Amino acid sequence: MAKKILLVAFFSIGVMAFAAKGTAFAVSAEENYKFYCAQCHGMDGKGEGANAKPKVVGIDLPEMSVTPRNHTSPEDMNKLTDIDIENAISGGGASVSKSTIMPPFGKTLTEAEIKDLTAYLRKLCKCKGK
Amino acid sequence: MNVSKAGRLTVLLGLTAFVVGVSWNLSYADGKGIFASKNCGSCHQTEGPATEKTFDDQLKKKGPELWYSGSKFKKEWLVEWLEKPTTIRLLKYNSVTEKNTEKHPALSKSEAGEVAGYLMTLTAKEAAAAGVTEASTPMGKNLFQKKYGCVGCHSVKAGAQKVGGVSGPDLSEAGKRLNGNWVYAYLKEPKVFKPVKRMPVFVGIINDNEMKTVAGFVAAQK
Repeated sequence: MAKKILLVAFFSIGVMAFAAKGTAFAVSAEENYKFYCAQCHGMDGKGEGANAKPKVVGIDLPEMSVTPRNHTSPEDMNKLTDIDIENAISGGGASVSKSTIMPPFGKTLTEAEIKDLTAYLRKLCKCKGK
Repeated sequence: MNVSKAGRLTVLLGLTAFVVGVSWNLSYADGKGIFASKNCGSCHQTEGPATEKTFDDQLKKKGPELWYSGSKFKKEWLVEWLEKPTTIRLLKYNSVTEKNTEKHPALSKSEAGEVAGYLMTLTAKEAAAAGVTEASTPMGKNLFQKKYGCVGCHSVKAGAQKVGGVSGPDLSEAGKRLNGNWVYAYLKEPKVFKPVKRMPVFVGIINDNEMKTVAGFVAAQK
């Protein structure tokens, strides 16, 4: 009986691991961050990506009308719960009463990836949030 | 006499059809040949379907895929651009940190016509006519610039100046370049055209009517 339970548990873990991958293209949250988020938030997370400040990369266009959040700032990031962050990634800025310039990634990233990204942001800010 | 006239007419029509057919085939073959001789295939994929499954698959590509270029582009623009290329992507292909300073090779006028002719034969069934109206409507502008924030990554004209982000292709003159029906198909079937890309998937977020309106707005920017 115990053997059977163990077998079922292993099988379930295997299925869950497979399901968590979904259509993921990356192997880590950092890869996802640098592929998607860095466009606006910058590779280092300081909110100075090419879309936010085109002149930083030598392109003569005005700055973005809103300032992307600085993910390395504990002051800013401490105002948010992990759920706030997950909602912002999934539903975009509009879902957390922020700018719609932040698009929704809920149909692009899996739920597991969004949770991993949230944890990655916590590493960037070295903070735990509300 | 009438029979003979009809016969001559048939032969003439047949010959005309043959000549037109042969020249079309030659033109296609020439364009394909020029494409190959210029080594365009080293950067551009001309055979579908898309096979990218990871970021690495996408990041190792050197230029946009062209296997659906006949659905995507307007031929007149393609001919002109191949002869006098301009910058469409403000950032280097596949980069979010480096400005695009590369000069795309230019073709002669006749080569541009031949290659454009060949590229226009590369179509995707998913980009069939869908009734997209290419019009810069207030609704389209609202969806593009406010509701869905497309302007965060794509630049467009705002009066005399250009505004918007730089990580996506410049759309300020997209109407000269892109077919509205293809833009709609690209939004609707992201996995078909570019399964791994920085732009978020909007299927299930933007409804069908809005997708068509946004596509029409993009394809009306000139």
